[in-house]
Amino acid sequence: MNDTPLIYTSKGNLPIDSLRYETFWDIGATYYKLVERYYVGDEVVRESAHVYSLQGLGATGEQGSII
Amino acid sequence: MANTQAMCTSFKQELLTGHHAFGTTVTRGATTADSFKAALYLATATYNASTTAYSTTGEVSGTNYTAGGVTISAWNAPTTSGTTAFTTPTASFAWTNVTLATAFDAVLVYNSTQANRAVSVHTFGSQTVTAGNFTLTMPTNDATNALIRIA
Repeated sequence: MNDTPLIYTSKGNLPIDSLRYETFWDIGATYYKLVERYYVGDEVVRESAHVYSLQGLGATGEQGSII
Repeated sequence: MANTQAMCTSFKQELLTGHHAFGTTVTRGATTADSFKAALYLATATYNASTTAYSTTGEVSGTNYTAGGVTISAWNAPTTSGTTAFTTPTASFAWTNVTLATAFDAVLVYNSTQANRAVSVHTFGSQTVTAGNFTLTMPTNDATNALIRIA
């Protein structure tokens, strides 16, 4: 039996081979983002995004002086 | 030898582990770690340094997204390097098979044990998700890059 690979989309499970697949990169100052899109024609039927945070947030402690 | 004025590094780490209670009353008596969550917010929302607690205002909504966001499974034990105390979640934040049709660009980390008090807001560029997955991979847990750092 030959199974047709399917992928879940906004139009239900569709044969993955019937879709156009594209990826995009968004490079920010503190992150890299990979966006994956599957298309039926010009319509995006599945879009995923994966963000890699390069750096979190820092706070600086300060102490005052006793005069 | 000479004395040097500074905020003690151990104090910064102990802030992250809840050791110090300033003021006239102690507001917590728990002896176990708090639970934290991560919620996503629309690009049109206003979450920033002045945010004090989780709110549904401006939170994303859509198929398979649960209000309040995901639970952060665990944090690396707060530690120090040089004069910096830091910690980072041990795993990525992930939302699977979601549809978030309205652009979002921020995640709020908050303390769901302590009245949903806000911890931090992180932005990542406007995004939508259609019947797909959204993941936020954590930075390296070190004194330069950790998600939460007190220098």
